[in-house]
Amino acid sequence: MSLRRFFFSFPIFFTVFLLQEAFVTQMRLPAGGINLLLVVALIWAALSTPEIGALTGFGAGLMMDVSQTSPGPMGHWTLVLIVACYAIAFLGYGDDNIRGNPINIVFLTTIGVVAAQTVFLILGMMLGQEIGSVKQVLLVLAGSAFWTAIISPLILKVVSYFHAIIFGERSHI
Amino acid sequence: MRYGGDNRGRLLIIVLLVTSLFLITLDLRGVQVIDGLRTGTQTALTPVQKIGSWVVSPFRNFISDVTHLGRTQNQMEKLRAENDKLRLALQNRETADAQLKQLKGVLNLAGTAGYKVVNAKVISQGSSTSFTQTITIDAGTTSGIHTNMTVLSGYGLVGVVKYAYANSALVQLASDPAFKIGARIAGTQQIGILSGQGTRKGVLQLLDNTTQVRKGDALLARGSQNGRPFVPGVPIGEVTSVDNSPGAVTQTADVKFYSNFSTLGIVAVVVSGSSADPRDALVPPKPRPTPLPTVTIYATPGAVEPSSTSTPSPKTK
Repeated sequence: MSLRRFFFSFPIFFTVFLLQEAFVTQMRLPAGGINLLLVVALIWAALSTPEIGALTGFGAGLMMDVSQTSPGPMGHWTLVLIVACYAIAFLGYGDDNIRGNPINIVFLTTIGVVAAQTVFLILGMMLGQEIGSVKQVLLVLAGSAFWTAIISPLILKVVSYFHAIIFGERSHI
Repeated sequence: MRYGGDNRGRLLIIVLLVTSLFLITLDLRGVQVIDGLRTGTQTALTPVQKIGSWVVSPFRNFISDVTHLGRTQNQMEKLRAENDKLRLALQNRETADAQLKQLKGVLNLAGTAGYKVVNAKVISQGSSTSFTQTITIDAGTTSGIHTNMTVLSGYGLVGVVKYAYANSALVQLASDPAFKIGARIAGTQQIGILSGQGTRKGVLQLLDNTTQVRKGDALLARGSQNGRPFVPGVPIGEVTSVDNSPGAVTQTADVKFYSNFSTLGIVAVVVSGSSADPRDALVPPKPRPTPLPTVTIYATPGAVEPSSTSTPSPKTK
């Protein structure tokens, strides 16, 4: 039942992917900008069950992997996002203190974005990728945290609305 | 109520993780289907990115106008494009001059001057949240652009074409951490390997530890076989600091790239290099100090008006 409902979320993620590739990257935001798909996937996972969270990570990760700007091999982002989304969903599942409070979700998402990027970086290093200077890496991580903390409260209501349409009113904030 | 998980859930997680590891393995082994997937996605996304560039440009211009206070982005883009075009023409002329000198020196050498280039507009800048530095340009294989071609701006090296599609191409910028280029120092001809660092600054590692490198030295591309991925003689950047640590195995230096990667609008892809190496002809001239006029005033006590003379001198008294 939930799996069938999960597939209904594909158009939403595809739209976010298009927005990210066609618009967000064009804005040339300072400090590395924001990865909208990553933020939406983590918010979506925070509102879902762990299984749906892992599936969300799988779908969103695949989309991020087919993006030309992804430096790693296919499956790199997928692996990272499965773990990240599952972890976030696991932390929030059944705990209304987390799920019922938008501030907690924003906080969880921000931490999740930074953690996912750090894991992505470490995994990339293990696969032989160059990561550049430490200063630049820290700048990008700090920039991502900043932009996520700015953007996620703005889109949380919208993501929550679509999540509630697909999975029912229980997940609506 | 905390989540305890069930067998079905655990199985799903394991299946997903194994699938992603399987994908990584397939990609690292160079399976064509995976490459085709990315190529297909980029080909499909190119029109959307073009529309996105057009839609977002007013917003981008607004931000830029606010930042630059009074200077409109349109004027700046126009002047920048014109400037890039003129600099490119000047580069071609310098290449031609360099080749002319070689022709005078060696009578049996003949060649034609100038790189053959295809101009392109930057339609997208890769997200640096993935720790890469890339741009997408609006010209591809239909314009004669292929992988491993040198990309230039009016100031020097921008990067190299990583993937070429029908109507677009992905360019790996010289600032990308994975970017490496064989470089030589203009004049002394010392060679080394320059690596991107994710910023406008690169690190040059000299191959010979006994040679000396100085601050302000200009760096040029050594060039590759058949001019791909790098045509020789392209200006890369300038040495800003040298690490002369005693006992170091290799000598390293910080290099500032001539090109400003965050303001790239128009770039040129070298589809055919010059027939001869332009050597140091493309090194940008160093700025010369403008002589300041010195005004000397002779004051005579009791005189009605002081006499003054104005003489040009390189120093100010």
